[in-house]
Amino acid sequence: MILKAIRWLQDVGVLGMNRRNAEYILRFNPRSSFPLVDNKLKTKQLAEAYQIPTPPLYNVIEHHGDIARLEEMLRDHQDFVIKPARGAGGSGIVLVIDHTVDSFVKQNGEVIPLKDLTYHISDILSGIYSLEGLEDRAFIEALVHPDTVFDAVTYRGVPDIRIIVYRGVPVMSMVRLPTRASDGKANLHRGAIGVGIDMGVGTTLAGVHRSRVVTHHPDTNKPVMGIQVPHWESMLFIAAKAVDMTGLDYLGVDLVIDRERGPLLLELNARPGLQIQIANQAGLFKRLEVIDKAPPEIFATPEIRVAWALETFSIRTLN
Amino acid sequence: MKRPAIMLAVALLLVSFLLMSYRVIWLKYPILPAAPEKVWQLSIDAHVKGGEKETTVMIGVPYTHKGQMVAEERIRSGTLSFNLLREGINQVGVWSGTLSLEGETIGYNSTIRVQPQRLFKTKPSTLEPYPPNVGKEEKALVKRLVAKWESLPPEDRLRRIAAAVKGIWGTPPPDDQDLQAWSAFQEKHSQLDAFLLLLRAADLPAQVVQGLQLAESITDSTLTWIEIWTGQEWESLQPEKGEIYQKPAPLLPLTTNGLPAVRIINGELSEVRWTLNHGIINQWRMHFERIMRSNRLLDRWSLFRLPDEYQRTFRILILVPIGALMICLLRNIVGFPTFGIFLPVLMALAFRNTGLAYGLGIFWGVVLIGYVVRRWIDKLRLLLVPRLSVILTLVIVCITVFALLGNKLGLREFMAVGLLPFVILTMTIERFFVIIEEAGAREGLLTAAGSAGVATITYEILQLESLQLTFFVYPELLFAVAAVQVLLGRYTGYRLLELFRFRRFWSSS
Repeated sequence: MILKAIRWLQDVGVLGMNRRNAEYILRFNPRSSFPLVDNKLKTKQLAEAYQIPTPPLYNVIEHHGDIARLEEMLRDHQDFVIKPARGAGGSGIVLVIDHTVDSFVKQNGEVIPLKDLTYHISDILSGIYSLEGLEDRAFIEALVHPDTVFDAVTYRGVPDIRIIVYRGVPVMSMVRLPTRASDGKANLHRGAIGVGIDMGVGTTLAGVHRSRVVTHHPDTNKPVMGIQVPHWESMLFIAAKAVDMTGLDYLGVDLVIDRERGPLLLELNARPGLQIQIANQAGLFKRLEVIDKAPPEIFATPEIRVAWALETFSIRTLN
Repeated sequence: MKRPAIMLAVALLLVSFLLMSYRVIWLKYPILPAAPEKVWQLSIDAHVKGGEKETTVMIGVPYTHKGQMVAEERIRSGTLSFNLLREGINQVGVWSGTLSLEGETIGYNSTIRVQPQRLFKTKPSTLEPYPPNVGKEEKALVKRLVAKWESLPPEDRLRRIAAAVKGIWGTPPPDDQDLQAWSAFQEKHSQLDAFLLLLRAADLPAQVVQGLQLAESITDSTLTWIEIWTGQEWESLQPEKGEIYQKPAPLLPLTTNGLPAVRIINGELSEVRWTLNHGIINQWRMHFERIMRSNRLLDRWSLFRLPDEYQRTFRILILVPIGALMICLLRNIVGFPTFGIFLPVLMALAFRNTGLAYGLGIFWGVVLIGYVVRRWIDKLRLLLVPRLSVILTLVIVCITVFALLGNKLGLREFMAVGLLPFVILTMTIERFFVIIEEAGAREGLLTAAGSAGVATITYEILQLESLQLTFFVYPELLFAVAAVQVLLGRYTGYRLLELFRFRRFWSSS
């Protein structure tokens, strides 16, 4: 039974946690580059240098003393997002869709007073959400107004697109759709849906919700399959460039599509999860092996890499 | 990519194996130090009364040689001084000194491991001259009596002689004159002397041995038997009945060459008692004292040379890497979630004081109380460090209350909680809270169950006495543990729980 299961997984080419850690992360991702992706502010600066668009930055809060100026900072922005620079797995992120002077409407509809917000920021600064519990910085950036294409299958919040990039080549991707359970967050372990994407054309496949395959969004009951993701190729291009930017050869690139600004780089992940395989009903390991066997010239520029990926990993080619 | 890791693992295994082999082969360590071994506990007790002069008591005691191993020798000598002396191939305990009127009780205890298969292979003794009290005629007589067996192999000669002493001479019988002369000799001398004479005449080296029958017993006298060298090994003969003991003979020799088992000069012995009891001890105890006295490098650097109070710590400490290995197994092969990496090991260490059930109970009791308080504190909006300090204080208060309660209820386990790793408890409460907040109660409880499970397994391993002893005797086994850890570090296969996680891939196909 167990051996049979192992054989099935091997046949599909599913990547396990141990292999991901030992043979991809430890091998291809130099520790020295981790701060670039673990710190969202650094990622933002870096992206700017590489002409990769990110959500506009409003303010950085570095010291507890700065919190007093919060009201002043927020005066000009109707909606915004507060994030810890070194938060992991979406923790510590607050989306505010509207506010008055001292009450703030969170994106889930909850209204909180200003002092709750300052308390939250001081938590961020103390490092409660940071990876190693180190002191952290908080930053305020523009709230993304997501493209309407996913409106029917999103329950409050911002859907995002995760693309796994290996040696600069986009390998696999999924859309992450917030649900009522995920509290508007697009993190799978919080209950968001992951929907696989046909790499060749950018249309959605079936989704995975808490390890179960789903065809419809649990809250809106609309089908998640067959949606054409806009700006598909330019997103793959951003993902491919992110590797040149960080020197990390096994990377998860998270993007959002803003209604006006188009695709924006949200964050990078040096230890991207494995759930994406369930969303795509496909094994990562198999595709990584294909890349390792590819001729060296396909790695030359981001453009060539994207073109090669579009051809190689489209459902049509794979079948 | 995998090569260097495998080479390192092999090198570590090799170091471990070589050091162990060195100890086993050159330093004669037991391969399984914790394996039980059947031994005999011998004790010799006597009461001595003396006169005005110095009294000396000499008692034959067993010693370590090829066939047996003597350990844990203990002496009771009261006001007398004690010495161990070698007398020929005997070892004699000598108690000497001037005694008071009421005398002194002396004693000797030891633990003896007998390896009968090797017992009677010591080197042969040469033929002794005839005893001086044997005349020329008698010498000629016995020579005639055994002459017809001259050509037989030594074992057969011995068997014929054993039968002859009982009156069975076989055919053809010796002539009547000789038989009568022999009967007269037997009446004049003891059966023992008759045997010795016949054996001497048949050129069989023999010695008289005083000792004990190997059986649970208390006796006030020793047993006498004859050992005969038959060219390959010693046979033992029971002189009264003329029977040859089946090999291995169930006998424990104390003195040989006719020396009495107990001698006294200027005094009087009473209540001399030899007691033999079965015992089972682990193999290590047989070697312990020898290794403590040894000057070999690895013996001098043995953990047993540490002061006793530190040995207890190291017995446990040296097993902690196995606990870590368990965590590697459970996390990387099985895929269990746990709080922190080594928290379960620390929990397991703490459980040693409280016991498993109380330990787990107290641990999760504190974590749950802490969780409830942490939920409530969340509303107070305390900063991180002060908030953790509050939780830490709460943990200490909980532990203190438990100890006081334990004292009132008479539960020692509750008082032992003081040694629980309180910092770990504090961090567990915080992590438990964060996991439940972020990933839901299910995830939090799963992680809690995983941690408790790993802690329990680790605790059970730390409690294995035989494992403790083996690692204490052979600390180089830690290299072997490290080798396995290195190999686990290069395990890139699926985790067991991943088979479940990705079940869709194989169950639907």
